[in-house]
Amino acid sequence: MIVDAIKAVECRPLSLLAELTYRCNLQCPYCYNPLDLGSYARELDVETWARVLDEAAAMGIVHVHFSGGEPTLRPRELCALVSHARSKELYTNLITQGTFLTDALLDELLSAGLDHVQISVQAAHAALADYIAGTRVHEKKAEVLRRVASRDVALTLNCVLHRHNIDEVADIIAFAETIGVKRLELANTQFYGWAFKNRFAIVPSRAQVERARTTIDLARERLRGRMEITHVLADYYELFPKPCMNGWARQFLTVAPDGRVFPCPAAAAITSLHFDAVTDASLEWIWSHSEAFNAYRGTSWMPEPCRSCARREVDWGGCRCQAFLLTGDAAVTDPACSLSPRRDAIEALRVEDEHPAVDPRENGFVPRRFQRQPVP
Amino acid sequence: MNSATPALARGCRFRRSANSAGTLLVPEGVVELNSSASAIVELIDGKRTVEEITLELSERTALDLQSMSSDVQTLLQRLAAKCWLVVGDKAALP
Ligand code: SF4
Ligand code: SF4
Repeated sequence: MIVDAIKAVECRPLSLLAELTYRCNLQCPYCYNPLDLGSYARELDVETWARVLDEAAAMGIVHVHFSGGEPTLRPRELCALVSHARSKELYTNLITQGTFLTDALLDELLSAGLDHVQISVQAAHAALADYIAGTRVHEKKAEVLRRVASRDVALTLNCVLHRHNIDEVADIIAFAETIGVKRLELANTQFYGWAFKNRFAIVPSRAQVERARTTIDLARERLRGRMEITHVLADYYELFPKPCMNGWARQFLTVAPDGRVFPCPAAAAITSLHFDAVTDASLEWIWSHSEAFNAYRGTSWMPEPCRSCARREVDWGGCRCQAFLLTGDAAVTDPACSLSPRRDAIEALRVEDEHPAVDPRENGFVPRRFQRQPVP
Repeated sequence: MNSATPALARGCRFRRSANSAGTLLVPEGVVELNSSASAIVELIDGKRTVEEITLELSERTALDLQSMSSDVQTLLQRLAAKCWLVVGDKAALP
């Protein structure tokens, strides 16, 4: 039956996030990159990356997302790797903030076979966007977006929603319409890396999240068939956690700039685990045999209340990184779950109605900064 | 019948698997298609009309024209709703 023909594939490595560098000229307070950016100054070389792509293709991985940091800060390597990935039949996606996407670089990426570009903006209007980015970039991004939209490549516009921009989500949607993008991804901020450090300064209130949900749902109806809007919900206001990464080590791999491999882009925060690097082992070995990948795979690691919960294969107990950051133990039920004995940890983050005029927890942004450290 | 000429949208690629089925690679996702859906998607090239796709598959599979037509329409509508399809001819999908 045709109607049943479209279903999501599950339970095998599908997608590789290739973080080419953590360097970036922006300073977004919600950046999920780790705080110790300087310790990633030594970056994998292009030959090692090419080998990683070979291994990924052999494992049946389908998508490779080139990201960072800002991957276009390594333009030569990026172009070479896109072309290499395409030669292995991988689907190639570039996740970028766009400010370095010149026509020359675009030409080169498109002739290398790039399938898809995802460009992020910080807000709909320059004043706010530049305040969030910590530097003047919005006008430049708008110009780049218009150029990319006219090229023969799929384009997604992405915007992370948080306390400071979520109330103008209608304007962000209108901005996306003006550019003419076919896909818009609106993702409520999550709290990893720099975002965790900034959590009290960026957490939206429940009222903000609800208003945005209504606006987005209406826009999605109105734009059906013209623009696909993906809305990544804020699980900290839901009853149950998100099925983070569709389950630990079930479909996704992240290779960090230093070569370490993670089941999720934020997992470096889990300091109780040892993560192997592609310089020491093959991707396939790390996926199948490494301690870190097996630590929370499936359901056998689960404590109560997850262990006997009917949703254990729906949300996989939520997010391990969130559990670790909020409780100090990665092996407990995600505090975003209303059944978690530690839900107090998520409640402490919430702003239930509207933001108070002065939030005693809020200290302003700590801008993401790359502290240079000598390469050892 | 229908003279629209559908094409896969930018960023969407069909990839045949070892068995008779295939996958549709889309931004941020993989859509596993069964063999009948694969046969349809494989013929979507921006040149063939919906009518030609239907006729060709109906001949190939000996499925009557009416059932084949409704299968093709259903799949095309679902792809279009996800923005994975662009229709060359101005005639909108029914
Ligand atoms: S979230 Fe902002 S600071 Fe972090 S890598 Fe992306 S553009 Fe750079
Ligand atoms: S108890 Fe665990 S499995 Fe059940 S809903 Fe909560 S997080 Fe999910």
